[in-house]
Amino acid sequence: MNREEIVATTKRFLSEEFEVDETLIEDQKNLKDTLELDSLDYVDLVVVIEENFGFKTSGEDFKSISTFEDFYNFVERKLAAMA
Amino acid sequence: MIIEKVNIENYIPQRFPFVMIDNLIHANESGFLSSFLVKKENIFSENGYLTEPALIENIAQTCAAGFGFIGQQKNEGPSIGYIGSISKLTVHQLPEYGTTILTTVEITNTLGNIFLIKGKNTCNEKLLVECEMKIALA
Repeated sequence: MNREEIVATTKRFLSEEFEVDETLIEDQKNLKDTLELDSLDYVDLVVVIEENFGFKTSGEDFKSISTFEDFYNFVERKLAAMA
Repeated sequence: MIIEKVNIENYIPQRFPFVMIDNLIHANESGFLSSFLVKKENIFSENGYLTEPALIENIAQTCAAGFGFIGQQKNEGPSIGYIGSISKLTVHQLPEYGTTILTTVEITNTLGNIFLIKGKNTCNEKLLVECEMKIALA
C-alpha cells in the first residue's frame, strides 16, 4: 500500500467510524481534536486500524501521533516493517 | 470452577440483591466464563423470565469477576471496572426461572486500562443476549 492509498483508506474509515466529513481530515490538523476523540474512542481507533491495515497498536504508539500526517507516517512505517 | 458462589462477592463490587453472577468457571487473559441460576426472587425477574437488564449486568459482572481473579493471580489489588459503553446489543430471548445461564466474555482489544469485550449469555445452548462493551479499569 503506497502513501496515497494509506491516506485515502484512512480518510474513508475515520470519516465513517467517527462521523466527520472527509474534507476536515487534513495533514497538519490535530487528529484527536478533529475526530473529537476521548480515551474510550481510542479503542475504536485501534479496532479500525487493525481491520484496515492488519496490525495492532498500543497506547505507546499514539504518544508520537499528533497530526494526521504523523498518523500516515506511523502507518507507513508499520506496513513497511510488516513487508 | 475457579470462584464459587460463596466467594464471588470477594471479586466484584456488587452486593445482594444486585449480584447477577454465581460462579466464575474459567478466566484467562483472553476471556472469562461464568454461570448464574435464574431465580424468581431476582429483582429483575418478571412474568416467569429474567429480563434484559439482568442479562446485560450479568455480562458486566462476569467481566468484573474475571478481571478481579486475574488481578488476584498477579497479586494486584481488586480493580473497579466501569462500563464505558455498550454497543451492538441484541436480545434474542429471555431465560426462564430455574434455568442456568452460561456467560462468555471474549477480550477482543485492549488499550491501556480500557478493554473492548464481546459478551454473550446462553441458556441450554440458546443465545440470550449478545453485545460489545468497553470496560475501563480504575
